[in-house]
Amino acid sequence: MKIVVCLKQVPETNQVKLDPVTHNLIRQGLAGRINPFDRHAVQAALDLKAQVGGEVIVLSMGPNDNEYCLREGLAMGADRAILLSARAFAGSDTLATGYTLSQAIRKIGAVDLAFFGRQAVDADTGQVGPIVAEFLGWPQLTLASQLTWTDQGLQGVRRLGALAQTLAVPLPAVVTATRELNDPGYLQPRQIKAGFQQPILTWNEVDLEADPARLGVAGSPTVVRKILAPQTKTVPTQYLNPDPQAAVAELLTALQAKNLL
Amino acid sequence: MVELTAAQLMLHQMVQEFSANEVRPHDMAIDRERSFGSDLYRKLVDTGFLGLMLPEQYGGAGFDAVATAQTIYDLAVGNASVAVTLEGHYKTLDQLLKYGQPSLLDRYLPSATQRIFAFSMTEPSGGSDHSTLGSTAVRQGDHWVLNGNKIMITNGGLAEVYCVLVKTAPTEFSVFLVDQDMPGFKFGKQENFLGLTGTPIGEIFMENVVVPADHLLGKVGQGHEIGDNAHADARVLMGAVAAGIIEHELELAVDYAHQRKSGGQRLTDLQAIQRKIADIALAKETTALLYEEAARHKAKGQPYAEIAAMAKTHGSRQAVRAGDDTLQIYAGYGYSLDYPIEHLIRDARALEIAEGTVEKMRAEITQLEVAQRI
Repeated sequence: MKIVVCLKQVPETNQVKLDPVTHNLIRQGLAGRINPFDRHAVQAALDLKAQVGGEVIVLSMGPNDNEYCLREGLAMGADRAILLSARAFAGSDTLATGYTLSQAIRKIGAVDLAFFGRQAVDADTGQVGPIVAEFLGWPQLTLASQLTWTDQGLQGVRRLGALAQTLAVPLPAVVTATRELNDPGYLQPRQIKAGFQQPILTWNEVDLEADPARLGVAGSPTVVRKILAPQTKTVPTQYLNPDPQAAVAELLTALQAKNLL
Repeated sequence: MVELTAAQLMLHQMVQEFSANEVRPHDMAIDRERSFGSDLYRKLVDTGFLGLMLPEQYGGAGFDAVATAQTIYDLAVGNASVAVTLEGHYKTLDQLLKYGQPSLLDRYLPSATQRIFAFSMTEPSGGSDHSTLGSTAVRQGDHWVLNGNKIMITNGGLAEVYCVLVKTAPTEFSVFLVDQDMPGFKFGKQENFLGLTGTPIGEIFMENVVVPADHLLGKVGQGHEIGDNAHADARVLMGAVAAGIIEHELELAVDYAHQRKSGGQRLTDLQAIQRKIADIALAKETTALLYEEAARHKAKGQPYAEIAAMAKTHGSRQAVRAGDDTLQIYAGYGYSLDYPIEHLIRDARALEIAEGTVEKMRAEITQLEVAQRI
């Protein structure tokens, strides 16, 4: 089975800052790390490979320092890594990112599964996995909290709050991983060293045979107008009479006064 | 913080996470139970901490002195005893790598990813002053026969392999590797120390322990040098332990002073408290700068014994003082055994003694300064 895992490099979560003009995340000069959900995606791919054999390829789009998250994927045990890096990719929104990644998956060829983390902890959109599935015309299993491989194929549990959906997924398919899917554990120091000794392949827009109009800023219809922190409202607490009967009467009066009854 | 390579940064992020999730939650229990327990020990071994600085040819990860010191610091922020257990192991491997004969290293080092190695100098008659030592090794054909008693060994009882400093002639000292499985090797008692209680500190006896000739480290008579080198390696890491303890104290001090109010003001708004917090932060940075510089010198192959002694001398005192300041900020709570501050002070106090007392280190620093200038 040929499995691709798409990785995103995110800033350390306590260092996230926004550009006051563009409203984009300021990523420059920050120590990056692999998006935490993506570690679960890599682990899921490695678990599946351990069961059915095959190859795990980690893929990331971004500037050269995005190599770092690919190194972490290699350290975890991925077989090879591909970095999509070119000026033409700069300024991509989720749509352009999804298009670019889907072109890379086409180029890799004969891919059975593409894994993603459920969302990235910096932008929190959760859109790129589903967009890639749409570009490739593949079914998608988002928010996977459990995966099993049987003779019938891949089956997964999709966690939606209190609900759980069990789905059979024909391949090729896109799966997005939640924390509940597995425990990636800790990287071993020796694995880290090994991850830095492997070559990383770099592809640009020419390698991907991509449509320039769909790449980078040109291919990104999203415009961020404003980003706001949610405002917390405090409402004064009114205490009811400790006597139950009086409390009921008081509550009824209060609710009627607000036309809620 | 010292500039790390990408691989060192990834290691640092992993160790920080390990320390926060696996070590810190057990910090007070480790002190109380006087052990960090078999579960945490297993996790340290399984995650590959024992082989962190061991070259790849022996199954280790081959990280350098900078990454090793950073790891010790990150673990010490979680709990100092855990960090000191690894410090004892790493400093022993350093001596084997520097002085061990290839045949010995090939036989022993692959197992160092799975079991602890220890270095032992101190005897009931003395520690830093080697002339008082009574343990001996006598050559018999192709072998050496070792006799004696070593005490206060970091990881004594937990470690399975020991490098011991013994007399090979009345004024000649040499270091040999002995294995707990050798006939005549026995464990003695565990020390009942005030701090770093999670690190086993034990005693061994050697009664006609026979070792092959290649168990000699370096040459006959090189024991002083190896002992000094082991001290220097240990002190780089003890500086990192001190910085880790101070970071833990700083974290506690800021956290409490920010929450606690007095006369309607946060403690962090009171000048008397600000002075303490600023001093703790300053202590952390100066200690970190010293141990990082010592580690950098070591990684580059430059002399590091003096700056390593400075890191431990400065860091150990600062860790005690910063603990005292933190206790004072917490006032009554700080004095309570239900809070971690008292054990941080006890842990820090050990660093003024272990791997050479601060008095001995000041003497060494002075000698080196005199030698360079006069």
